[in-house]
Amino acid sequence: MIAGPRSRRVTVAGVRYALLIGAAVVLALPFGYMVSTSLKAHTLLLEYPPRLIPKSPTLDNYTQAWGANNFGRYFLNSASVAVATTVGTVLLASMMAYGFARFRFPGKGVLFGTVVVGLTIPTMLLIIPQFLLAKNLGLLDSLPGLVPFYVGTQIAFSTFLLRAFFEQIPMELDEAMVIDGAGAWRRYWNLAIPLSKPALATVAIFTFLGSWDEFVWALTVINDVSKRTLPIGIALFQGQHGTSWGLVFAASVIAVVPVIAVYVTFQRQLVAGLTNGALKS
Amino acid sequence: MTTTTPAIGSVTRTAPGGTDRRTPGSPRRRAGWAGLVFIVPGFALYLLVIGWPAVQALLISLRDYKITPGAESPWIGLANYTRALHDPVLARSFVNAGVYMLTTVPTQILIGLGLAVLLDTVLPGRTLFRVLFYLPVVTSWVVVSLLFQYLFATDHGVVNWFLVDVLGVVGHPVNWLGQRWTAMVAIGALGVWKGVGWSMLIFLAALTGVPRELHEAAALDGAGAWRRFKHVSMPFIRPTMVTVVILLVIGGFNVFTSVLLMTNGGPLDQTQVPLTYMYRQAFGYLDFGYGSAISFLLTGLVLVIAGLQYWWARRTADGGAK
Amino acid sequence: MFSTARRTALTAIGAAAALALTLTACSSGGGAGAAQTPIASAGATISGTVTFWHAYSADSQEVKTLETVIIPKFEQLHPGVKVTDVAVPYDQLHQKLVTAVAGDTLPDLVRSDIMWVPELADLGVLVPLDQQMPDFSTYSAQVYKGALATNAWKGHYYGLPLDTNTRVLLYNSDALAKAGITTPPATFADLRADAPKLTAAGVSTFADNSTSGWNVLPWIWSAGGAVTDDEVTKATGYLNSAASVAGVQLLVDLYKQKAIPDIILGGTGGTATSDGLATGKYATILDGPWMYPIFASQYPQFQLKAAPVPSGDGGSISVVGGESVVLTKSSKNKDAAAEFLRYLLSQDAQLAMAKVGQMPVLSNLGDQLTSINAYYGPFVTQLATARPRTPTPAWPKIDDILKAQIQKALQGDVSVQDALDQAAAQIDPLLAKYAG
Repeated sequence: MIAGPRSRRVTVAGVRYALLIGAAVVLALPFGYMVSTSLKAHTLLLEYPPRLIPKSPTLDNYTQAWGANNFGRYFLNSASVAVATTVGTVLLASMMAYGFARFRFPGKGVLFGTVVVGLTIPTMLLIIPQFLLAKNLGLLDSLPGLVPFYVGTQIAFSTFLLRAFFEQIPMELDEAMVIDGAGAWRRYWNLAIPLSKPALATVAIFTFLGSWDEFVWALTVINDVSKRTLPIGIALFQGQHGTSWGLVFAASVIAVVPVIAVYVTFQRQLVAGLTNGALKS
Repeated sequence: MTTTTPAIGSVTRTAPGGTDRRTPGSPRRRAGWAGLVFIVPGFALYLLVIGWPAVQALLISLRDYKITPGAESPWIGLANYTRALHDPVLARSFVNAGVYMLTTVPTQILIGLGLAVLLDTVLPGRTLFRVLFYLPVVTSWVVVSLLFQYLFATDHGVVNWFLVDVLGVVGHPVNWLGQRWTAMVAIGALGVWKGVGWSMLIFLAALTGVPRELHEAAALDGAGAWRRFKHVSMPFIRPTMVTVVILLVIGGFNVFTSVLLMTNGGPLDQTQVPLTYMYRQAFGYLDFGYGSAISFLLTGLVLVIAGLQYWWARRTADGGAK
Repeated sequence: MFSTARRTALTAIGAAAALALTLTACSSGGGAGAAQTPIASAGATISGTVTFWHAYSADSQEVKTLETVIIPKFEQLHPGVKVTDVAVPYDQLHQKLVTAVAGDTLPDLVRSDIMWVPELADLGVLVPLDQQMPDFSTYSAQVYKGALATNAWKGHYYGLPLDTNTRVLLYNSDALAKAGITTPPATFADLRADAPKLTAAGVSTFADNSTSGWNVLPWIWSAGGAVTDDEVTKATGYLNSAASVAGVQLLVDLYKQKAIPDIILGGTGGTATSDGLATGKYATILDGPWMYPIFASQYPQFQLKAAPVPSGDGGSISVVGGESVVLTKSSKNKDAAAEFLRYLLSQDAQLAMAKVGQMPVLSNLGDQLTSINAYYGPFVTQLATARPRTPTPAWPKIDDILKAQIQKALQGDVSVQDALDQAAAQIDPLLAKYAG
């Protein structure tokens, strides 16, 4: 304790980095393998045993994947659906979560229970009833038609998560605002939302990823070739007997880029608590 | 922005006096028709696209369902459910999912929380580490399951190489994916690997909310890192912890993609989990009635477990507070 | 012995008998069919759009040929018609079809795996072509019998084969040479004789990755066995006959001698058949014509060679694979759709697809095929006697039962006879369900 807090701090930092680097290697290695395979030409079977460094790397798979059947279009389709889904989910789920976290009204338990039940129902099972519903609503074969289903699928999880975060916000803050005459909407928008940025960022990251990666529903309802989303485009590279793995992996790497961009952008919010501490001002 | 954002730290310091200031108009007391206004838009959408189809699926589970429009799907009551309760493969699939849940959830929480704590500090390269830890979450399922098949391959797999050639703890290569429990180990490893970035991210968001000055005050009192974590951070992130545990338990029972791609339930249905089995019944054999019954049995079981956890968490939280 | 001989004779005429039977049935059903709207005959004036779902992978030569050769040529021949083709990933096509059945949103034409035709027919969503297509017999007479038989369900034909394939013995002559063997095994007896020598040389005699019908039926049929009677009403007495047992027994014996590797149990994680064959770990496998381009790109040094399926008491009988094209009842433009179907079966279209690896179904093209792709030769020969897996909607379940019971026999839990008795007993009620 008394002996050299400085050297102790250095040791702590050393251990911290050692752990972080070890974890990073283990967690990032498969991604490295994906990148490496995407740089190998003509791989109808995967190399066995796998080799991390490609013999003669080439970007052919990238140009071919991007050039094949409207890949750029699928990319834009996925992006617009994912953005709309993320905005819709974060807005609706944060409102629901706020309602559940901050108000008492008859039937609240039943409503919240319904949300929790929805978390546990496997959505795979709902495909046929949902398909009939989408047909009746005229939402088949439509990109905007994907959004309500994506929001609906993600809203239970997001509400559940956000409610826990809203409950972390001390009630006294709300009360202070009530004294100042703030209505419910202002307390939500000016208090809960700014204070929950890390949580909202987390939900946004997950929602974007969920929508961006969604495959089964988009495949089921979309027929028009020009309305395909990215995961369908990637799956189409997989053949019945042989798969151009270089293309699949290159396309998968391309698909990861926006997700990482969204993640990096939003995760900045996850440092808020370190920088905006009131004591520093 | 920073000036208008209320700081959590200032609140906690004024908190003790907070209760005194409660007025009749306080949110806690106010009858919540306003709350309903917040809930209705999202809830209505949710009822439409999840609730209504779920009710339809529940009705399907009570029929000998034929998918062709207009075909007769006779009511058979609970026959699909009684059949499920006597199906040994389904029983095995529930055991597999239960074991998967019991082993992967604690591991994911420990590692995810550990990584979040390591990263919850001002640290050069922090963003890079956060991205690297998140990569498994975004890497495509097809890619990672192929890779885990390689890792656990019998003849030239990395795991066998390590166990047989490096450590020498087993005499001959293990047929990892060809037997029930060894295959479940491989599937569990994949689940944990793909999942830690997810729980890390949620814990990171929760830790971000822990007021810095509480840590500093505790440090001044001579509390070490572990005690600060236990007595300052943990109580603060408790609701998040409960939420993550419940979500992971639900997710554990609903394990699907990794099993489908790694073993597809085989060999001989040994690694079947409820959702792979349900998928085969519904989309393979077109027995949607039975598939739905399986799903609702799973839902029922998970709800009971999640409900118990929730109740227990609330109870111990209240007990601790008073 | 007597029963084995009888079975052999019976199965030899099996496919032909099944065909004769179904054709008789459809001529008797003609009366009912006359009441339905028939499809316009070939060459009638047609217009509108035709939607065609298939599972050719993106960026493949097949899809390029379809979209830049076949469809443009057809649209040129029929200026009023527009054909829209929709690629669906192969692994998800079945699920998408099932949902489209429930939603009544099927396209006009589907290129369906041959094994889904009876299922879709039973769901009542396909047009019985033999009843409604006036020139059906013109086409049915031109295609391989084994491939055509996969389209039969309850006495009618619900599709026409579009492309076909089968499995032959692919072998690595260097691996065989390691054990001093110069010719590939031609009979069950050769396999049994080669096994100890190859095992001593560290090479697996034969490798396969499952015990499903696609994998084990060539052995059962070549031994003279069968899955069901010709009318597809029962398995007992057929799947568990002495001949069927003999086919499976060969695999079990070789497995016990470690001449067949563990991957036949269906577990993932072992060396894949293709990797093992090319690297000399496995001496022989059974596989289809698509392996040639795969080996050429992956193992350019490897000399892939082919031979017929080793023969047993029943001859050298392999299994038919491939796709059919089916016309849906919900099609709004059956006349134009049928015309495109006819075009897909034309010599032009079939040869165009043959150039990119799809084996034609027109039996008279056999000789021309080897000049397009030399490797088609052994497959054309094998196709002459190849048989379809049992055409029934219950096939997915039957397949799983076969897989499970034969695995048990391989693992030594039960005798082959017991395993197949069990399987037959489980399959009988499934067949009975669809027999009525």
